[in-house]
Amino acid sequence: MTPQHPQHLDDVLSLIKDAMADGAALAIVGHGSKSDWGYPVAEARPVVLDRLSGVIDYQPEELILTVRAGTAMTEINKALAKQNQMLGFEPPDLGELYGANNPSSNKGSIGGVLATNLSGSRRLTAGAARDFLLGFEAASGRGERFRSGGKVVKNVTGYDLSKLICGSFGTLAIMDEITLKTLPKPEATKSLIFPADDLAAAGKHIAAILATPHEPSAAAILPADMAAKAGYDMAKMLVVIRLEGFAISVNARADALLALYAGGDEIDDKASQSLWQLITNTVLLADSQGDIWKVSCPATAAPAIIQGLKDILPKDLPLRYYADWAGGLLWLDLPSQVTPADVAYGARLRQILADHGGGFAQLIRDSNITRQYLPAFQPLADAQFGLHKRIKAAFDPMRVLNPGRMHHDI
Amino acid sequence: MQMPEPDADIIARRDSIVATLKTMLPATSVVDSAEGRRAYDADGLSAYRQLPLVVVLPETVEQVAAIMKYCHHEGIKIVPRGSGTSLSGGALPLADAVLMAMGKFNRILDIDYDNRCVVTQPGVTNLAITQAVESKGFYYAPDPSSQIACSVGGNVAENSGGVHCLKYGLTTNNLMGVEMVTIEGEILRLGGKHLDAGDYDLLGVMTGSEGLLGVVTEVTLRILQSPATRRAVLVGFDETAAAASAVGDIIAAGIIPAGMEMMDSLAINAAEDFVNAGYPRQASALLIIELDGPEIEVNALIDRVADLVNTAGASSLKISETEEERERFWAGRKAAFPAVGRISPDYLCMDGTIPRRALPDMMIRIASLSQQYGLRVANVFHAGDGNLHPLILFDANQPDELKRAEDFGADILRACVEMGGVLTGEHGVGVEKRDLMPIQFSEDDLKQQQRLKCAFDADHLLNPGKVFPQLHRCAELGRLHVHHGKMPFPELPRF
Repeated sequence: MTPQHPQHLDDVLSLIKDAMADGAALAIVGHGSKSDWGYPVAEARPVVLDRLSGVIDYQPEELILTVRAGTAMTEINKALAKQNQMLGFEPPDLGELYGANNPSSNKGSIGGVLATNLSGSRRLTAGAARDFLLGFEAASGRGERFRSGGKVVKNVTGYDLSKLICGSFGTLAIMDEITLKTLPKPEATKSLIFPADDLAAAGKHIAAILATPHEPSAAAILPADMAAKAGYDMAKMLVVIRLEGFAISVNARADALLALYAGGDEIDDKASQSLWQLITNTVLLADSQGDIWKVSCPATAAPAIIQGLKDILPKDLPLRYYADWAGGLLWLDLPSQVTPADVAYGARLRQILADHGGGFAQLIRDSNITRQYLPAFQPLADAQFGLHKRIKAAFDPMRVLNPGRMHHDI
Repeated sequence: MQMPEPDADIIARRDSIVATLKTMLPATSVVDSAEGRRAYDADGLSAYRQLPLVVVLPETVEQVAAIMKYCHHEGIKIVPRGSGTSLSGGALPLADAVLMAMGKFNRILDIDYDNRCVVTQPGVTNLAITQAVESKGFYYAPDPSSQIACSVGGNVAENSGGVHCLKYGLTTNNLMGVEMVTIEGEILRLGGKHLDAGDYDLLGVMTGSEGLLGVVTEVTLRILQSPATRRAVLVGFDETAAAASAVGDIIAAGIIPAGMEMMDSLAINAAEDFVNAGYPRQASALLIIELDGPEIEVNALIDRVADLVNTAGASSLKISETEEERERFWAGRKAAFPAVGRISPDYLCMDGTIPRRALPDMMIRIASLSQQYGLRVANVFHAGDGNLHPLILFDANQPDELKRAEDFGADILRACVEMGGVLTGEHGVGVEKRDLMPIQFSEDDLKQQQRLKCAFDADHLLNPGKVFPQLHRCAELGRLHVHHGKMPFPELPRF
């Protein structure tokens, strides 16, 4: 079916109302850069939001940016760079990860970044995408226009629907105008690398650094193979710490940390930026032949999760992975499933996670086989799922918007 | 303020309801005497008082679940309450509702430095979290002015802020997880010690939901390493507009201060009379700008801030050289509310937010409204994020002064929305701003919010009469208009 490209929220409302009347569903994408994340929406009318585009208002000294949801991230980044500002949550560009399966892949739209609540390495200290959406105007699955939040950085008026919309994968509403909080770009960036014996030691090292007043903005762990791939071939696992801010402060903090912890080394601004792009944008695992999992876990649970997976993997198959967010975000490359009986790895992963303080394991890229046997989004407990279904019905009672993209029945 | 008509049937059944609650809780945890209930008849918005039907003081999540299940089954309303410090009437009791006070949930359960979080029961005070972790150099960032008394469960319900929001965020940005009980008595865990969820962000929705969606029984909070240094600048201005533009200049220079507060002449002088903080009495606006972080950074930036405010036209400037001096700068600001309390029998504290650039216009508007209503107003602002706290001075013993003060306040909030802002920056809607919601939101906006409420509490049993000016039945809210009169999928539930 030919995709529709609505230009105004009124066009979106018409598409929704027509779908309601015909009992049809809409398959909604922004720019389509992450359309392989989650399930394809079966037998639906394709809607592409790339024409809901443009900067509406930008007040750098208010830290406020209002844009339309289909605006390209490249355009937003350009506007921000002109004012020396940025989006604090460091939105990743998953172009490399999805590029092979999706030739039309590009850097995506802000709406897509918010719909997937996708945050980069600075999420550890600055917050997630959902923390930066201040307000929006949208069309609900009822075919009604509604607003939530505001255009100021501090606001508690009414329910915080901005949080609900972020990470809902287009299953609740289609946003048009959105208002984001911006932040000044740091004047300087510097990274430090420290060798570590194993994942547990690396995690402890980061916890110790985060307990100093030296304010890292990001902290990642690269096993030796990943470090080598990033150009740091030292046959050792590496802890990577990023410092950002005013130059005088970054230099002083770097010196202080290098004095505190032996064996560290400094990476200059340019090398630091390219290293963190490899980490944030998951470039290090983009060439994987297996399934890519995104795991959000308590930072201290990372070693148990990795060990548990190594225990069940065939001996000749090394586990490829790395950790961001001080260990609280694991990017895993697990073998693809081949038969229905073969769901062991993902299921085991979710079990270990449940045994170690909870969290979420999402299958974000596979060869479309594993996800047929194992839910791509982590299954929810009954009470939770009931609430999800009622919330879906509150916004989209006829399941017009991206039905089944996240969960069956949502 | 019109509250929902109490249900006479429930009130008539009071004795049997009390008796049933006493089978679920120790007798001392059910407060049914009039004098006992009197202690709970208001929160921080003390102009409104109401004796609750009965007060329950549960101390386990199982007790909370049992009470909720019973009330849900019997159609009895519930008003949750933390420490009762809400300034918007969020915990105002209802004559036909059980008041569920969470004060016995008073233990910190787990301090986890490696994952940088604290797991606590919701009745623990905000300040107690910082006190529990400060020996290791950590603290909990949101610091509402009531932090010695307010509970963290209440902070979740109200999405509480404080003076450090611009840099460190509100409660929602520092909350990692909750355990909560739904009106059906189901116990849910949302979030935890991990950073992101992969489903609908129910934790984000619960935060700031003002007790309308569920009762929080456990909270996981993010803690941060305390900054190495804090220093403050105290700046006087002859012109409010110059002070406002200085604030914008600082942020435009890439500096995000830990706190940036503004006071007007009446507030400056009231505070000065009260605590002698050394404020410039002649100034028409005062800024307190605090920077925190590594010492070398704070020292460098404080000089840049001094340059920026001088360029903007500061008439006086002091930089704190010692911790005592920094605390003295803050003493007047922190005492501003009681200081105003000394010069007026009563005051109303408003809480709108505006885009910062609208500040000079807002000052002019407030001054003209002050003349129109014949009431004085002292202005205190969280200037960094445009959050206004005008204090309207009045005397409740004078006939019609409360009403005039409330009308004045409503006009200020109308002006906030008109200038591109919002009704409340951190105090919540509660009953206080409930009837003003249509100024900021359309009928459709409010209906969509209430549909979310229906997903959690289809019978409107949790804290009714708060936040929404008009209660729509969930069945009515679920009605759909479909083109051409067709209604496919008639089997789908609609509410």
